[in-house]
Amino acid sequence: MLGPYEYVIWLLCTILEAAVLVCAFKKNALRRYLFLNVYMAASVVVSIARFDILSHYGFTSNEYLYFYYYSDSLLTIALYFALASLYSHIFSELKAERVIRFGTLFLLCATSLFSYAVVQQSTSRLVTHFVLELSQNLYFVGLVLTYVLWAAILKMRETRTRLIQLVLSMGVYFSLFAANFAVQNLYHSTGSFFAMLTPLFGCFLPLSWCYAFMKLPEEARITPSRLAVVPR
Amino acid sequence: MSRKLTVILLAMLVLVGAMGLKTAVVAHSDGSVIMANGGAPQPPTPWPPTFAKNGGAPQPPTPWPPTQLK
Repeated sequence: MLGPYEYVIWLLCTILEAAVLVCAFKKNALRRYLFLNVYMAASVVVSIARFDILSHYGFTSNEYLYFYYYSDSLLTIALYFALASLYSHIFSELKAERVIRFGTLFLLCATSLFSYAVVQQSTSRLVTHFVLELSQNLYFVGLVLTYVLWAAILKMRETRTRLIQLVLSMGVYFSLFAANFAVQNLYHSTGSFFAMLTPLFGCFLPLSWCYAFMKLPEEARITPSRLAVVPR
Repeated sequence: MSRKLTVILLAMLVLVGAMGLKTAVVAHSDGSVIMANGGAPQPPTPWPPTFAKNGGAPQPPTPWPPTQLK
């Protein structure tokens, strides 16, 4: 059963997600980072809908189960496009929007095909299997893409502080979940403790993006690190 | 090599890397899934692993697929 801890973290996470939208609106960053804000808005809507279904049908109901996993898949796709929009921002000077758009769609199609290939043996509930598999695979694709973007930021000596903060926080967010999941699987005896941390990690991304929109102006620049300079 | 082919190659490399990372992370997994969107409590996995709780005999393969979802 759900305790007060789960409800408090859930509420906190939803409030922080809504706060990102408010901060972005106040700092005129709503349209500039449209996909990031669309993802946050979708997260808020999904959270409210999940709560509604949970309170109507219960935690172990099929309704909540189906809605949770299907909506999670949609949110992962939205997060993937938010990440692709960060690529567009980073490579904006190279005029590579079309290439990034093509690459994003191609990778999404390839991941979908791969997920389908994995689950096609399932004769029953093929769509549900596919949705869950796609969500998982797209999550790991997002994780790798974020690391690639980190490398690109270092290589290109990106100086836009807010953009760097947005990308880095996404990388930390992806990594936290992956590391927590791996540790959970490695140490089953303490798995419940690490499982408790999972919803807490969900608060990290909206908190970090709130900070990025609120405290870091769009014009802020940082000095690129010398550590990343590759000798030619 | 054209720009599009380079993008396709990079995308395939990312996909291979991601699936490799997934394999490493979910090694020793009990069938649970990673969920990373929002703070809502995660319901039980649709396909729970079957645990043998009585005795130490080796568990045979499940004769039928889990039927939690109807």
